[in-house]
Amino acid sequence: MQLHRAREEFEAAGARLVLIGQLSPRHAAHFRRNEHIDLPVLADEKRDSYRAAGAKVATMGELLGPKVMAKGAATTAKYRVVQGRTIGHPAQLGGAMVIAPGGEITWSHMSDDASDNATPEEILEAVRSAGA
Amino acid sequence: MFGAATTRQTTNPPASADALADIVLPDQDGNEVRLGDLWRDGPVALVWLRHYG
Repeated sequence: MQLHRAREEFEAAGARLVLIGQLSPRHAAHFRRNEHIDLPVLADEKRDSYRAAGAKVATMGELLGPKVMAKGAATTAKYRVVQGRTIGHPAQLGGAMVIAPGGEITWSHMSDDASDNATPEEILEAVRSAGA
Repeated sequence: MFGAATTRQTTNPPASADALADIVLPDQDGNEVRLGDLWRDGPVALVWLRHYG
């Protein structure tokens, strides 16, 4: 499952799925069109929410180390995606959280390096485990 | 280079989303969204993308 195809499964599990990127609203709209993503995309050029979520900025080794490069090649082969021009802070890492009504964070996975990303299946399982 | 950190950082996700709730971000159409409103009526999965491109 790719994230942009996961909307219906998240909604069936009782949760919304929202993406946040470090770019302008115009770029967010372009990203949705280009990637055929039917999900809300919020624009956080200043990266305020990244800091509040506890996301980290990677070292060079965490961006381009052997583990990262090997996983990147595998992802390219699996999903046939190729990285294009980078928009945003290139060393800013992301992550994912499930937040319950009331604001409790019931699950989180913030990336430890550029290859360390929760899969859509893992996020969906976290939603289901939280009893959404 | 790339604005990379010179020393290894650790992730630091909070236990509650209080620090996130009052952050207001525009969506792809320019509409302002207060993050706390996203989980007011039900759970939400937020995904922070590494970068675009």
